[in-house]
Amino acid sequence: MTIAIPATQPPRKYGIDFTKPVLYGFAAVLCVLIVLPLSWLFLYSLTDSKGALTLANFYRLFTESSFYDPLVTTFIIATTSAIVCCAVAAPMGWLVARTDLPFSGVIRALVTASFVTPPFLGAIAWELLAAPNSGLLNKIFRGITGAEPDVHLFNIYTIQGIIFVISCYTFPYVFVLVANSLDRTPGELEDASSILGGGRWYTARRITIPLVLPALLAGALVAFLQAMTLFGSPAILALPAGFHTMTTKIWSLFQYPPKPELAAAASLPLLVLTVFLLRAEHMILGRRGYSVVGGKYGAPRLIPLHSWRWVAFIICLLVLMLPVFLPYMALFNAAFSPVATTFLTFKNATLHNIQFVLFDLSAASLALKNTVILGTATATIGTMIAVVIAYVTARRAVTGWRVLGFLATAPIAIPGIVLGVGLFLSYTRPPFVLYGTLWILLIAFVTIALPSAYQQLQAAFRTIHPELEDASRILGATRLRSLWEITAPLLRTGVIATWCFIFVGVMRELSAAIILFTSETKVISVLIYDLNESGDLGAISVIGIGMLLITFAVVTAVNRIPGFGNVRFRN
Amino acid sequence: MASVELKGLTKRYGSAAVVDRISLHIEHGDLVCLLGPSGCGKTTTLRLIAGFVEPSEGEIYVGDRLISSPALTVPPERRNMSMIFQSYALWPHMTVAENIVYGLKLRKLARDVIAKKLDAILTTTQLAPLAQRYPGELSGGQQQRVALARALIVEPETLLLDEPLSNLDANLREEMRFEVRRLHDAYRYTTVYVTHDQSEAMTTADLICVMNGGKIEQAGSPEEIYNRPRSEFVARFIGSSNVLKGKGLDGGRVDFAGVALRCTGEAVVSGATTAVSVRPHDIALSAKPPQQTENVVPAIVVRQVFLGDSRDYMVEAKDGTQLRTLTAAEENIPQGSNVWLHLPPERCRALLG
Repeated sequence: MTIAIPATQPPRKYGIDFTKPVLYGFAAVLCVLIVLPLSWLFLYSLTDSKGALTLANFYRLFTESSFYDPLVTTFIIATTSAIVCCAVAAPMGWLVARTDLPFSGVIRALVTASFVTPPFLGAIAWELLAAPNSGLLNKIFRGITGAEPDVHLFNIYTIQGIIFVISCYTFPYVFVLVANSLDRTPGELEDASSILGGGRWYTARRITIPLVLPALLAGALVAFLQAMTLFGSPAILALPAGFHTMTTKIWSLFQYPPKPELAAAASLPLLVLTVFLLRAEHMILGRRGYSVVGGKYGAPRLIPLHSWRWVAFIICLLVLMLPVFLPYMALFNAAFSPVATTFLTFKNATLHNIQFVLFDLSAASLALKNTVILGTATATIGTMIAVVIAYVTARRAVTGWRVLGFLATAPIAIPGIVLGVGLFLSYTRPPFVLYGTLWILLIAFVTIALPSAYQQLQAAFRTIHPELEDASRILGATRLRSLWEITAPLLRTGVIATWCFIFVGVMRELSAAIILFTSETKVISVLIYDLNESGDLGAISVIGIGMLLITFAVVTAVNRIPGFGNVRFRN
Repeated sequence: MASVELKGLTKRYGSAAVVDRISLHIEHGDLVCLLGPSGCGKTTTLRLIAGFVEPSEGEIYVGDRLISSPALTVPPERRNMSMIFQSYALWPHMTVAENIVYGLKLRKLARDVIAKKLDAILTTTQLAPLAQRYPGELSGGQQQRVALARALIVEPETLLLDEPLSNLDANLREEMRFEVRRLHDAYRYTTVYVTHDQSEAMTTADLICVMNGGKIEQAGSPEEIYNRPRSEFVARFIGSSNVLKGKGLDGGRVDFAGVALRCTGEAVVSGATTAVSVRPHDIALSAKPPQQTENVVPAIVVRQVFLGDSRDYMVEAKDGTQLRTLTAAEENIPQGSNVWLHLPPERCRALLG
C-alpha cells in the first residue's frame, strides 16, 4: 500500500483564536438579556414616581390591603394547589410505575396531554363547563334535577375553582417527577428488603416511600412555583370573581394610570421566592443520588393489584377526565355549536366559528402573523444561542464556560410576568425604545426559551462522545470540518426538536406578552385572552383546538427522540 | 524518520501536574507501551502527543520537527498521526465503509485509489461482508476492527492507541493483542500504546514505560521491567512481588530480620532503609535448615493453599514481615511449622529509596 501523504508544513499558529471573543460576546448578550431588566426592576422598586430613592413602594405593598390581600390569596392558592397536586399525582405515579395497572401507557399519555395544555385554555374550557349560569355541567345538573335557573352545582369563579383549575394543569409536574424517580429506582432495592423479612407494607414504608420522597418534595415546590407565577388562569377566573392574585395585581398596575414603581416592587417577592424555591428543589433533588448506587439492576417487580386493577384504572380515568376529557369536549362543543354553551347536536352543528376566525376576525390574522414571525425568529435565534453555549459547556471549550452555562439557565428563575415588567421598564426609555415593536416580545421570548433549549441541547451534546470529534481531527479534519461532518449530523434531530419546542412555547406564552403587547403586536395567546374578555368563546375554542393539535404533533414527534423525554413548558 | 521525542513534557491543570517532566525517545518503528494505573497520566501523555492537549512545559518532536510546545501546538489534523480510541469513536451515522474511507477522502485521493485501498483493508481485517452495515449493528470485536482499519488505512507516520482492547471480553482481548502486534510488525509504524493491563503490554511492546503519578518510573524491554524492577512501584505493579524492608549494610547487603541479604540491583546505601523485591516463585522453601547459610531466612507458615499445579504459602519472618512463596504441589507443610527460605542473591533486587 502506498499513498501520497500530503507533506506536513512547518508548525505555526493556525488562524485567529476565536474562542475568547465568542465567550465574551455571548456573555455580554446574556448579561443584557438578564441583568438589564432585573436592574431596572430593582431600581424602580426603590424609587417614587419622580425618581427619588424611597422604600415607600414596599411599605405600601405590605400595609395596603389591596396589595397584601393578593399576596395572601396567592399564598393560599399556591399552597393548596401544591397539596392537591401531590395528593393526586403521587398515588397515580406509583400506580403507573410500580403496579400492574392496565393500560398504564394510556394514563401516561393522558397526563402528558394535560401537561401540554396551555393553562389559560384549560381555564377557559372550565368556564364553559362550570360557569354558574351558562356552564354545561350546571345545565346538565338543572336538567336532571329540574332545579330553578339560578341554582348551580359548580361555580368556577371562586378561589376553590381557581385552585381546582390550576391543580388540573400543574399536577403533571409532580407526576413526572414521582414516576421518573420510581422508574429509576431499581426494584432490587425493594427485593433486598423483602428477602430480609420486610413485608410489602413495611418495605413500602421504609424503602419505597423514603426513596421517592425527595422527588415528591421537589414536585410540591415546583407545583407551588407554577401556581404562584401563573397569570392566565387567575386572570380569567379571579377577576370576574372580584379578587386579585399577585400576577393579576401586577398586570392591573399597568392599566391606566400605570404605576410601574409599584409593579416593580410587587414583582420582587415573586422573583425572590422563585429563586429560593428553585434552590430548594435543586438541593432536594441533588441528594437523590443515593437511590441509584452502582451495580446492574433488572426491571422492577410489579406489585399485583388483583381485583383492584380495573378499579384503579377507572379511578385514574375519572381523575384525568377533569384536565383532559371534559375540557376538550367543552372546547369541541363550543367550536361547532352556534352559541358556545349550548349543547352540540347534528342539527345545530355549524362551521360559523371557524369561518369567523379564519375570515372575519381581522385581529386573528394579525395575531397569527405576529406569532409566526415571533415563533420563527425566537426559535431560530434561541436555538442558535443555545447550540453555541451548549457546545462550549459540554466540551468545556473555553475557560469560563461555567459562567455561560449559569447565565443561560438563570432566566428559569424569572417568572414570565416579572420578566415582562423588567423588560417594559428597560425598553420604554432611550437609548432602547423597543416598546410597541415585536423586538421587545422577541427579547422576552428568547430569554424565556433559553434555559430549556440550553438544557435539551446540552443533553444532546452529552450523547455525542467527544472522541467522535477527536477521531475526525486526528484523521486530518479541521475543527470546523469535524463539527460540520460529524457533530452536526448527529445533532440534527436534537436541534430540530429544540426549534419546534421553542416555537410551541412562544405560541403558549401569555404572562410576559400580556405586559408587553400593543395593539399592533398582539400574539395568539393575547388574542385568546382578549376574546375571553369580549365573550367570543366559540372563536377561542377554534384557535385553542388548533393550538392543541400543533402542540400534540410536536410533543409526540419529539418524545420519540431518546433523551428528550422530560420537557417542561413554562406557563 | 518518524521517531518521536518527548522533552521534559509537563501538563498542569491548576497546580496539579498530571504529566510531570516526561522525557522519552521512541525510535522509528518501535511499539512503546505506556503502562500504569488509572490516573497516572498515560492518557494525557497520549493526548499531548496527538495534539488534543497543549503542554504547559516541554516539547514534542516528530523526527526533527517541533510539533508541540507551550508557545505553539500543531493541531491534531496536521500531525499525520492516527489514533484508536477507547470508545472506538465510530461515527454512528456512517456505514463501516464510510467510516474507513473518511481519512482518505480528506486527503483528496482519487476515487479508484480509495476503492482499492478500502478493498485491501476490508480483506485484511475480515470486514468485507460488513462494509455497508452501521456501527450500531456490529459486535464489540467487529467495531474494534473497524476502528483499526480506519486508523491504518491512512498510513500514518505515528499510530496512537488508547486502551484499545479494554472494551472487549477476555478471549477476544487475548486474540487481539497478538493481532495488534502482527499488524505492527507488518506495517512498522511508530506506535504508542496506552494500557493498564500488564500482560497486554508484555505481549505487544518493544519498550514498556511504567508510569506513576505523572512520571515514568522505569522504561525498558518487557524482560528488563519484569526481571530488574528499579522501584517498589514497578516491582509491585508488574507481576506480584514480595517487598522486604531492611537497613542497608556495606557490600550491597541489606539487614532483613537479622539476616544480611546479599542483593543485586540498585546501589545499597549503608545505614539507609532499603526496599528489596523478590518474586514468590524465586523463593525456595524447605522444611529443614538448608546446608548453605547465605540468604537463608527462617520463618513460620501462616497459611497455605493447594492450587492444583502448585502450593501457595504465606510465611512470616521474625520481624513480622509476611512473604508469599510458591512451591511444588507435593510440598505439604502444615500451618505453624518452622521453615527456611532461600532468597537467591541474583533474584533479590535492591530498589530505589
